[in-house]
Amino acid sequence: MQTVALREEVRRKIEEIGRADIVVGIPSYNNAGTIGHVVRAVQAGLAKYFPDARSVIINSDGGSTDGTTDMVSTTTIDDLRTILVSNRSEPVFYTITTPYHGIPGKGSAFRTIIEIADALEASACAVVDADLRSITPEWIELLVKPALEDFDYVVPLYRRHKYDGTITNSIVYPLTRALYGKQVRQPIGGDFGFSRRMAKFYLSKDVWDSDVARYGIDIWMTTTAIANGFRICQAFLGAKIHDPKDPGTDLSSMLYQVVGATFGLMETYQDTWKSITGSEKIFTFGFPYDVGLEQVLVNVRGMIDRFRLGARELADLWRMFLGEEIVSFLGGLTAAREEDFRLPDDVWSEIVYRFAIAAHREIINKEHLLKSLTPLYMGRTASFVMETAESGLPEVEEKIGDLCRTFERKKAFLLEAWDASAEQGGFLPP
Amino acid sequence: MHGVEGGMTEMFHVFYRRLLGFLPNFFTALILLLVGIALAKILRLVFLRFFKAVNVDRFWDRAGIREVLVRGGIKRPLSVELSRTIYWFTVLIFVVIALNALQIPVIEAVLSRFFLYLPNVFLALLILFAGYVLCNFFARAVLIGLVNSGVQEAGIIARVVRFAVFVFAVTMALEQLDIGKVSVLIAFTIMFGGVVLAFAIAFGLGGQHYVKTYLERRMEKSEREDEQNIDHM
Repeated sequence: MQTVALREEVRRKIEEIGRADIVVGIPSYNNAGTIGHVVRAVQAGLAKYFPDARSVIINSDGGSTDGTTDMVSTTTIDDLRTILVSNRSEPVFYTITTPYHGIPGKGSAFRTIIEIADALEASACAVVDADLRSITPEWIELLVKPALEDFDYVVPLYRRHKYDGTITNSIVYPLTRALYGKQVRQPIGGDFGFSRRMAKFYLSKDVWDSDVARYGIDIWMTTTAIANGFRICQAFLGAKIHDPKDPGTDLSSMLYQVVGATFGLMETYQDTWKSITGSEKIFTFGFPYDVGLEQVLVNVRGMIDRFRLGARELADLWRMFLGEEIVSFLGGLTAAREEDFRLPDDVWSEIVYRFAIAAHREIINKEHLLKSLTPLYMGRTASFVMETAESGLPEVEEKIGDLCRTFERKKAFLLEAWDASAEQGGFLPP
Repeated sequence: MHGVEGGMTEMFHVFYRRLLGFLPNFFTALILLLVGIALAKILRLVFLRFFKAVNVDRFWDRAGIREVLVRGGIKRPLSVELSRTIYWFTVLIFVVIALNALQIPVIEAVLSRFFLYLPNVFLALLILFAGYVLCNFFARAVLIGLVNSGVQEAGIIARVVRFAVFVFAVTMALEQLDIGKVSVLIAFTIMFGGVVLAFAIAFGLGGQHYVKTYLERRMEKSEREDEQNIDHM
């Protein structure tokens, strides 16, 4: 097992602490504005729900220049009695703040956290994002407790606006569910809990110098847990509100990273997903409740314009792997009026599967392939917004469930084309 | 009459002697050619198996070269194409050796000039091939990037990029072939500089108002598109 080189002061701190029951990791990069709140919520959660445990908070930082690490080191809850009602003991937290080594990215930050957790022989570990504004002490209980008891991996379940998380809703969730047969609603949620057994398994994998270290760590952790038969559950955490993403983050790059990582895992676990049909619910902890969600503004016309431009300019490229029928349908859709604009579930699921097969066969450069998905994703998102304009959250969930069932039903097409590719080696059938 | 007959007989005698002298060379050349063809066939089979064993076709697909050549009508996998190239290269070598074996001074002179020029042709073809692959690759990268940025003129710009990269490759190839070395370079420089200058003048003077309106419209559009806070992740 390859390990990262931990700094000398971190090694000394580990020796000083000896062993821990719970480790909570916070990967960060220039999050001085929010990380104080996250650290306080973690401290309160540990004090409230695990008062007798030896707990360590690890901040794995990517070289922040805005005082993020200082904020972690100095943040404490002045008077825990204002937070704790029943248990008024003053638990002791250890805090380790360290820059991570290796390729810059969330994956490398996670690796450092898991390495330290392993060195401390922690029974359970949780990781939470540093830009969270809605984290509460209860998140720590919900992410850690199942990992201390019956489960190896805890995924978050958030209440989100119906138009938020569209990459998850339209690609990652339906695809993961259809492939691996588990209804993990937020596979790339970002906040997770896991057992010691799971942590050891992650460290044993030789992926830390790959794209997993840069991005794609969330889907890698979830898929690895499901595909290797670990006990998995989800925890209802309420609303997820975080700092707005960097506006410079390009949507096509996001798609390339997330979808690329998901397709990459399809190669790794093809022997697993090929034999799975249908899907099953997983156990959910927590008490679901409705929350007030921030208003989400969507520019449907702008999205449709991007789709039309893509359909006009990229049709020849798409024809290589989407086939004539789908490309003709997309061409027809460019003429549709805004209110009639619909990209149906069966067409969308076939598009995603055909992209997966094209990536599998390496028909064209992978970055070109996945970035050419952007206009189609825009079209699908615009269609989804139009369809659910008057719908409440339960109806939207039902709609997403319908899409997932379409993905499951069409999995036979994926299997057939995937296996045929090895012998044919050529382009996708029309 | 006897004189003519004698001359004719003498001529046939000379021809016959020369033919007798030439025939061993001819048969040597023929044997060399046949051996060459047989060897080329064996090499083709051996290399085909080798290329398939090292999975060279996967590289072909991954590099996007297959897609480019399919468009150009070449549909066989790289392993087949490479082994065919080795076959023809071996045949060519043996044809040259066979021609040399004929020991005809004119052919020898032509061959030596041909051999001196051959590397230039080979390099020029290589440059053209690389240019063709690269111009398609860059054009597609530009096209996808501009489409995703919402640039309506994405198709035209991508075509210009494809053309520019290919013209650059053709210029390099011609330079390699020593064809109009200086004039081609000058023509390319003038053309490229002219295009840049034309754009500069058009944008700076002629199309000032149009460009201003265009940019304003784009900025407004961009701001409108930013008026959304959907979280895709």
